[in-house]
Formats: sequence, structure tokens, C-alpha cells
Amino acid sequence: MKRVACEFEADVLRAVWGSQWPEELRTHAAGCDICKDVAAVAGAFDGAREELAGSAELPDAGRVWRMSQLRARREAVRVAGRPITAVQVIAFAGATGLIGAFFGATSEWFQALVKRVDLAGASTALMKVLVEHGAFVGGMAAIVLLVPTAVYVAMGRE
Amino acid sequence: MTKRTSMLRDTTISELCRSDAAGEAAVEFVLDEDAFRGFYERTARGLWAYLVRLTGSREQADDLLQETFYRFLRAGSEHENEAHRRNSLYRIATNLARDERRRDVVRRILSGAEVEGIASLEGGGDAEGKADLSRAMASLRPRERAMLWLAYAEGATHEEIAGTIGVRPGSLKTLLFRARRKMAGLLSGGAR
Repeated sequence: MKRVACEFEADVLRAVWGSQWPEELRTHAAGCDICKDVAAVAGAFDGAREELAGSAELPDAGRVWRMSQLRARREAVRVAGRPITAVQVIAFAGATGLIGAFFGATSEWFQALVKRVDLAGASTALMKVLVEHGAFVGGMAAIVLLVPTAVYVAMGRE
Repeated sequence: MTKRTSMLRDTTISELCRSDAAGEAAVEFVLDEDAFRGFYERTARGLWAYLVRLTGSREQADDLLQETFYRFLRAGSEHENEAHRRNSLYRIATNLARDERRRDVVRRILSGAEVEGIASLEGGGDAEGKADLSRAMASLRPRERAMLWLAYAEGATHEEIAGTIGVRPGSLKTLLFRARRKMAGLLSGGAR
């Protein structure tokens, strides 16, 4: 089985970082492909981290803390508002249904209109449309249902 | 550079003052402010360097750094010790960098624009050597870059690296071996 690690890797890493190579380790590394690679890679990174990190212009901790606090407050308000919005939508739909039912039950002209309409003919025509254009109607129905859901989910993720 | 929506950057000092003046209750984070300040001072520079190496862009690293600390604070995870806390921070950063890279790919496809090269990071000093390092890093896969940087610049253990990049600890030795071979080959000027 091919060797993928060497027990002296950590020693080699320390030697590179400390620029101190005991003779035994140097001899080992010269003949070990794994340790040679460790030395090459660690040597290339040596100092690069400190130099790169030292060049960073970072915001101070207090600012990051305060901005995080403000953002968290905003998100808390938004999250708290979302269930209310959903409840409002359900309440509106329910109220509309109730008003419609009340109107249908009490309005004489509406009831007269319903009697005049050929419901049997209308339902036959509707069935015909569904049979002939079922896929299209199904697609449209899916879009009508999915788009608001997708928008809701996307807004929730922001 | 493409504009990103960093909510932290969009927040102004006057908004912060208004928020404080309004007496809005502080949100409870995983650390209190003093502990956070200490943790930030100890980790921010190293994390930023890691993000620069992962993304190849200082600007992206700036944004991702702030986002990383915000998500860390909001995560609400309990940490056993400083090392565990630090691993958690690096894992968040790694995931954010990966997501950002995916978005970049989409943006690139949509706009047909060139991507900012990692080699452009370096300047001054031993410019040639640094450019070699950057070019070699740019030739690696993002996960390879992350592994090598964590192992040989940060000195992270195999378990820590596995946790950060999301692979099984048992697989890490082999993955690290391959990445190291590739990097050493690139640094010596030839593929292995």
C-alpha cells in the first residue's frame, strides 16, 4: 500500500517554522518524498501568512460587534413579522370567502342569476378545456402556486 | 468587482446610533462583547489571510470576514474551548467562501467576465517568489488550497482540518497527500 503520511511530518514542519534542522531529521527528509513535500510546501508558506495577515485592514472588533447586533435586531424584527404576514393572508382569504358566501346566500339578484346560468353546460365546457389543455392548465396552476412560495422562501433567506 | 450585498457594510454609524438611542434590546450572542473582542483580536487576521487565499480577492475576504463573524455570533453553538471555537469559525468561513465561489461562477457565466486572478494579490518584497506561490495556489482546487493553508500556514491538526472542510478524518491523510504532492510539483516548476 502506498504511503501517504510520515511520522516525521510534524517534526519537519517545526523545523521549517523554526529554521532549525537537526542533522538526523535533515538526513531523513532528504530521502523521504513525503517529508520533502512537506518541507517544500511549508517553506513556501513560511512567512506568507504573517505577511498577508499583517497587510489586512480590518474593522475593529467593537464595530463588527455593533453592526452584528444591529443586523441581528433587524432580522429578529423581520422574522417576527413573517408569521403575522402569513396569518394576515389566511385571514384575508377567509374573510373574502365568508363575504362571498354571505353575499351568495342573501342576494336575490345573485341567486336569480345563478338559476339562469346553465351550470351543467358550463361544467361540461370546463371539463372539455381541462381534458384538451390539461398540461397547460396544470402548468399555470403550478406557477400560480409555486411563484409566491418561491418568493416567500427567497425573501426569508435574505 | 461585482457588488455583493453585505448587510454589515451597508449599515451606517448613524443607524447604529439611532438603534442605540431607541433603546432596542441587545440580541444575545454566543459570546458577550468582551469575549468577542478578545476572540476577534486573536483570530481575525489569520482568518482574513485564509479567506484571501481561498477566494483570491482581498475585497471578498473583507466581506466574508465580517459575514463569518456575524454567522458565528448568531450560530448559538456551545464551544468546549478556544480551539473548538476557532474551528467553528473557520468552518463557517470555508462554507461562505465556497458559496461565494459558486455565485461567482454563475456571475461569470452570465457576464462573460474574467475572474480576478490570485496572482494579482502579490506586490513588493520578494515579488517573484510570492507570485510563484500565488500561481501555484491558483492552480489548486479550492479544497486543496484550504487543506494546505490550514495544515502548513495555520498548523491545524488533521482532525481540525477535516472538521473545517467537511471530510471524514480518515480520508484526510490521502487528500492532503495528493494536494501536497501537487503543490510541491507546482512549486518546483513541473507537474508530478
